[in-house]
Amino acid sequence: MNNLLDIQNLNVSFRNYGLESNVLKDVGLRIPEGGRVALIGETGSGKSVTSKTILGTLPENAIIESGSIRFDGEDVLSLSHGKREAMKGTAFSIIMQDPLSSFNPVFRIGRHLDDVLRFADRRLGENSNAADRKRRIERVLRQVQLSDTERVYSAYPSQLSGGMRQRVLIGLALLHQPRLLIADEPGTALDVTTQDEIMKLINRLVSENGLSLLMITHNLGVVRKMADDIYVMRHGEIVEHGSFRTLFKTPQQAYTRELIAAIPPLYGPDVEDQPPVDAEPIISLSDVSKSFDEKLLFGRGRSHLAVKDVTLSVGRGEIFGLAGESGSGKTTVARMIMGLIRATSGTVQVDGDTVGTKGQGPDFRRLIQIVYQNPGTSLNPKRTVGQTLSVPLRFAGLRGPDVEKRIHELLAHVELAPHYISKYPHELSGGQKQRVAIARALAADPKIIVLDEPTSALDVSVQKNVIDLLQRLRDGMGLTFLFISHDLSLMRNFCSRIAIMLRGELVETGEPRTVFAEPQHPYTRALIAAVPVMSDEEDRLKPKTSLDEQRRYLADTVA
Amino acid sequence: MQTNPINLMLRRLIGFAGVMFVLSAMIFILARIVPGDPARISLGPSASQQQVDAMRQEMGLDAPLLQQYSEYVWRGVQGDFGKSLISGRHVSVEIVTLLPATLELVIVTVLLIIAVSIPLGVLTARHRNSWVDNAGRFFSIVGVTMPSFLFAILLQLLAANFLSDWPVIGRINYSLDLPDGPTGMLLIDSVIHGDWEVFVSAFKHILFPALALAMAGIGQITRITRSAMIEHQRRDHVLTLKSFGVPDRVIVFRYLLKLSSIAPLTIMGLEFASLIGNAFVVELVFSWGGFASYGLEAILQKDLNAVMAVVLVSGFFFVVANLLIDIVLMVIDPRLRFKEAD
Amino acid sequence: MSVASSNEPAVLSTRYMAWYRFSRNPSAVAGGLIVLSVIFVAIFAPLLAPYPDDVGAAVNFRIRHMGPDAEHWMGTDKVGRDILTRVIFGFRISLLLVVGVLGFAVPIGTALGMAAGYFSGTTEKIITGFTNVMLAIPPLIMALAIGNVLEPNLVNAMLAITLLWWTWHARLIYRVSKSIATEDFVEAARLAGASHWHVLTREILPNCVSVISVKTTLDAAFVILFGATLSFLGLGVKPPTPDLGSMVADGRQFLPEMWWEVLGPGFAIFYATLGFNLLGDGLRDMFDVEV
Repeated sequence: MNNLLDIQNLNVSFRNYGLESNVLKDVGLRIPEGGRVALIGETGSGKSVTSKTILGTLPENAIIESGSIRFDGEDVLSLSHGKREAMKGTAFSIIMQDPLSSFNPVFRIGRHLDDVLRFADRRLGENSNAADRKRRIERVLRQVQLSDTERVYSAYPSQLSGGMRQRVLIGLALLHQPRLLIADEPGTALDVTTQDEIMKLINRLVSENGLSLLMITHNLGVVRKMADDIYVMRHGEIVEHGSFRTLFKTPQQAYTRELIAAIPPLYGPDVEDQPPVDAEPIISLSDVSKSFDEKLLFGRGRSHLAVKDVTLSVGRGEIFGLAGESGSGKTTVARMIMGLIRATSGTVQVDGDTVGTKGQGPDFRRLIQIVYQNPGTSLNPKRTVGQTLSVPLRFAGLRGPDVEKRIHELLAHVELAPHYISKYPHELSGGQKQRVAIARALAADPKIIVLDEPTSALDVSVQKNVIDLLQRLRDGMGLTFLFISHDLSLMRNFCSRIAIMLRGELVETGEPRTVFAEPQHPYTRALIAAVPVMSDEEDRLKPKTSLDEQRRYLADTVA
Repeated sequence: MQTNPINLMLRRLIGFAGVMFVLSAMIFILARIVPGDPARISLGPSASQQQVDAMRQEMGLDAPLLQQYSEYVWRGVQGDFGKSLISGRHVSVEIVTLLPATLELVIVTVLLIIAVSIPLGVLTARHRNSWVDNAGRFFSIVGVTMPSFLFAILLQLLAANFLSDWPVIGRINYSLDLPDGPTGMLLIDSVIHGDWEVFVSAFKHILFPALALAMAGIGQITRITRSAMIEHQRRDHVLTLKSFGVPDRVIVFRYLLKLSSIAPLTIMGLEFASLIGNAFVVELVFSWGGFASYGLEAILQKDLNAVMAVVLVSGFFFVVANLLIDIVLMVIDPRLRFKEAD
Repeated sequence: MSVASSNEPAVLSTRYMAWYRFSRNPSAVAGGLIVLSVIFVAIFAPLLAPYPDDVGAAVNFRIRHMGPDAEHWMGTDKVGRDILTRVIFGFRISLLLVVGVLGFAVPIGTALGMAAGYFSGTTEKIITGFTNVMLAIPPLIMALAIGNVLEPNLVNAMLAITLLWWTWHARLIYRVSKSIATEDFVEAARLAGASHWHVLTREILPNCVSVISVKTTLDAAFVILFGATLSFLGLGVKPPTPDLGSMVADGRQFLPEMWWEVLGPGFAIFYATLGFNLLGDGLRDMFDVEV
């Protein structure tokens, strides 16, 4: 078969601070004409560098040491600058990630699109007039399902939602009907349902236009339906390569197995069911609402209702999952339970006391602790592990050698060696940092720990370990977890009960087994349907939703 | 969250009015607690106690402090800052006659700063780490660190030694007739009256003082423009355009330039206060005879009424300059128009 | 952008990167050397100055207005004093001013800035409101006004500059500590039972240190500049104290003939401000902070 893109023995290194580091080591990758290939790896594995090398947008401190990139038989690395530029946007196009920063904030969307089109036309030797270009742009915008083309065209980037900007970025890549489409983590920053929509759109456009696709991602579940061939990359090397089925059934590398393990099953025999907990409630909310007022100079500003009439209770010893997309109010609920913000109406009771009356007292502080999403910001970079851990201990009244003894115990609980006591956060890996953050939460001897997406900032290879650790701690210490996440497949296996939130309201509560088997609310169905899974069986077991239903809950992200 | 730009502007106006209010209160209190009786300063050491008391009454100094202040504010709003303790003339009249000279100098300086530092900032950012960059950076650091009086003196020395005809003192050749009005700014008035000779002379006279005054600003704004350009060059939106082959010059001169002019403009507003301060020095060295020279004289002679007026008028111009810059920024940056700034 | 920075698998220590940035930056090293030389000269001024007697009100009319020669490297002034000697002692005055001003302004500005950034609400409103007003006052005019109301001398000049300076420092620290205060580790410390005092001094302050040191270094240059300008206008340090600014003002009467009387002290000011500025810029790049 004819290879459209053929990368061989590509070596790229970066020069930083006088040191040279190999970022790509002997990378080889082939995309057949019309093929769909995925490149998968964690942050820093070199997958984005690969795409930049193909495109020719490497930063100045990068050096291509050796290797070749053949596009349609021609080595692009040996082409002249002009010819290379001419290929951009026409031979191959990229769909950028992170939609908010991908547009210059002080220029209209239409200006970006027009400039890209105009200069590409010029390189191809065509002279286009403005009206003609605008027609072509509008056609592409309609292709990516942005029907109100006039509004999109004249909008500034900040006036569009994340989903809309991602669509514009896809449109940008399609302006000149490229032969190869490179998608660099499209939709990663977006909610699950929107991301699912974006993936479907890309898939459809690729097959309708007969394009070849290089899909770059860190999520194996995403690529199941998007790629015929998968390359797994780690530390700048391609470690494994094959079809999705082969990789999934017979992974050769430990790393590939970790990638697979990072996506727990939603359905089927491998699903773990947490035993339901039948105990008296330790947290109970009744009719809790929270509104934030906009401050205006004159008159009263609009107030925004972040949480609306939420009633729920969490039993002692439960792992209670609070799921929802960004802006659903799940973090606000958690912060009200922790007493960090006060409810506008309704009562929040924790361990028999009403939060807000004596809730600010020292005992309450010890009762409930939190593990944050990003261990990089939740640990003070200027303080050692020992200093960080000693704060809650001193507060609990420990002094002198007792403090140190307890710190060693805590480190043992989170499975870190004693010598970590004198290390600074930057000397630790992400997983180790998160263990320290867990130890800090444990140090106060709490009954409840709020887990705010504790694994989503970690590399897939350590996510599973952290979850296992949390599970052991819960079992060993009789803790209650309030687990906040948008990762439904993780929640299915880790929580004993879950609640789904949508725009400030609780739409569904129940044991995961029942919620996933028979979701009652249409939003729950739409949410579950959008979760990437690893097998067709699971896809079949997902609740059925109509396109209409899905659209209803996407109304604010797609125009 | 769409917020009306008018509402935003109104909020700024009220904020600035607040600044002026607090500033007037501060300077008023300061003027009243300092040792030295204004009436005594005004009449001189030889006046009798009776005369001083009469003067105190005339100046309203025996009223309660709060009443004095409210009267001061009320009159100040109407443009009346009392009489000079030294000359006995109305302070506002004296300031109005001298203000155009300083305004002209400041306007030319600001134009000079923009004309030199934005292109230089772009140039140095574009040729980062080349000799152009190094030369530009050296130039701007000299601008920032060299005292403006030293730079002014160097320019005078340069003129004295190499440009024998170049004027280094005053606003215009004394043998020429000054055009009467309407602005009092010689460059503008001469154009209005079509007086070419005056224009050339005024231009020659203003060039060196403006240059000396502009140096600090040029240095500062060049550096900020450069680092803003470099900072934005690293952003994803530049990568987007590069990935689609939009030419480098278009990225730099259209996309980056507009985005990178936000930071220098903001700083320019804040730097305005020190620009007025430096005008004191430059006007002294070049015998400019403007508002700043007047202020310096007032301070040296402890002419309290005049000093208060000078501080308030400088504060007022700072506020107006920043308001103008806010408007420009709102035009440039849609995020300020459509979103809450804070 | 996270992608570019995460492309290095080898984790370099922050200290190595900081030192690499500093030592590969010739202007930063030059700035450091200049600053060291100024401090050295100021400390050992009595030993280094060729004519230590000329510091005060000495008069030696026989050799007045002498151009630079082998005996008087920078020439002599209107009463025959050695300019080099007075410049060397002038550095002392300049550095005294820097220490005096920043010694008060930096701690006060840091404390108030941190308080405003960490405690929201009324504390924040009052402090930021006040610093906003101070921005509107041309600092030179205010210092002149204060300095003139009091007797013009070194201590009062210090006082006048300090009164203005802390607000600039407070603004910066306010901005920095406000962003630190929103970090999760601050909330975590509070949840762990830490007091406000602990959070301010142990969690926030250590993260401000690099910003403070860069700002203080840059400020040293501006204090020297500012003090020199004040005394140039006749409102700073009074003669016969060898102050660089008033020496320039004195020499200006004899321009353009006696150019050395202006250029010597003038460039001495420039030398010191340039040094602190280059060093401050180097430190800023080294710590990679925005000031």
